[in-house]
Amino acid sequence: MTTTIQWAAFGLCAAGAAVRVPGLREGRGRTMFMALVLLTLAVGLSLDPIYLAVDAVLGGGNVANLLLRLALYAVFLLFGIRMAAAFDAARARRLIVGPFGLSIVALTVAATLYFFVSSELGGSSTGLRAFDDQDTVRQYGAVGRLYPGYVAACLVVPAALAVFDRHARPIHRFACALVACGYALVVVFVLLRLTPLPPTSWDILLPFSAILLTVLGLCLIWVSRVTARKASNSPNKLA
Amino acid sequence: MAVTAKAFQLWRSRIAPEDTVTDLCRVAGIKRSTLAQQLVRGKVSAPTIVAIARAYDLPPAEALAEFEGYAGLAAGIRMPTDAELVSQVSHIDILRLLVARSEDKECAGADLQLDLAPFPHRNSVRAWIEAIDPGDIRQQVAASTGVARQNLSAQLTAGRLAPEIAVEAARIAGVSLTSGLVVTGLLTPHEGGWPEDGRARALCAMSDLDLVFLARDRLDVLGKQIRRAELDDGKDRAMWENLG
Repeated sequence: MTTTIQWAAFGLCAAGAAVRVPGLREGRGRTMFMALVLLTLAVGLSLDPIYLAVDAVLGGGNVANLLLRLALYAVFLLFGIRMAAAFDAARARRLIVGPFGLSIVALTVAATLYFFVSSELGGSSTGLRAFDDQDTVRQYGAVGRLYPGYVAACLVVPAALAVFDRHARPIHRFACALVACGYALVVVFVLLRLTPLPPTSWDILLPFSAILLTVLGLCLIWVSRVTARKASNSPNKLA
Repeated sequence: MAVTAKAFQLWRSRIAPEDTVTDLCRVAGIKRSTLAQQLVRGKVSAPTIVAIARAYDLPPAEALAEFEGYAGLAAGIRMPTDAELVSQVSHIDILRLLVARSEDKECAGADLQLDLAPFPHRNSVRAWIEAIDPGDIRQQVAASTGVARQNLSAQLTAGRLAPEIAVEAARIAGVSLTSGLVVTGLLTPHEGGWPEDGRARALCAMSDLDLVFLARDRLDVLGKQIRRAELDDGKDRAMWENLG
């Protein structure tokens, strides 16, 4: 179950990136393409076979996990910028790319690097599960959830508001509902991990369901864009 | 909207006792599956009745009058009021007359060659409701039909009005009962008792002052619609350009 959902998320992210390739030459959707490629990379690195193969190339010191974390931060930053613009949410935008938001990015990256360097990580281990007994590794994981949780919390409300916009296209409202559910799951996941609850299968199910929902929503918006381009003759508003 | 399937079957056996449902559909040019589905659901739509009535050379208003909710429809046909007639002239035609008058091109008699665009036009339904409104028609229609005000507004915004609501609105306003069916396009103007040159006559009878205010009101409505449409377009574009 958990492996299936991980592979499904990996496939969907890769597909979401692939369909945007033809638009790149016309300069359309570059940021989203970048974000989806990075997300595909991050999801791929949470899968055993891919992680072990990549980490072996990088020297077997779990640098791949660091790569995963940094890619995820970039994904959330890019998603945050684009979605705040798409939902016309000025406050979310300020919270994400304003001085406060950027200092959180800097702090998160610095803390991630610090905890990574100060941990004893001999031998590849997906998700650093073999080193869970080290305090610095636990801190490293907690810091890694902080920034995604922050961006998700900023975007949940604007995405949910877009769902209730009665004038918007139904496909956009549905896509926004998926995205809002995805971000809500991220927030729930981050909050749950702050409680002493033992991380069982929900530790995988929640974040990967969130990825599936969000990317599905983005794919719907892509579909809506492609179909709208085909029917590009807008009616005469004066007639 | 819909009449009961039972009432429909009774009516059908009276107007075409020999014909099967299949014959009926063939003659009236409606899809057999459409009618079959309506019969299964127990509700036959008003457009179906009108199509069948036309096919059997019955006045559609009289055919509808046999059903519940449309009682007295044919007997209630009167001349439309001038306000109703003018409400069915498009804003383009109103502006054309305004320009013609400003250039002194309008002279008695020539007016009737205005070549008005056929109606219903884009805002026909709402314009008609406003033309017959004694002040609180929306509340009254909502109260007597049991349709929520919000639902009624949504129908008007979309340029639609369910036939039995249109008839009820006309009943409340005391105008010709078929008017609402004409402006929603269910009946042709001829079937609904609207004179052919009525709109042109009513329009030309307006004073310059009334014509200018009419044009202003119509442009006001159009401006609001365009602003709404551009706002929606902007939102769509923001969605596509940022996330597409």
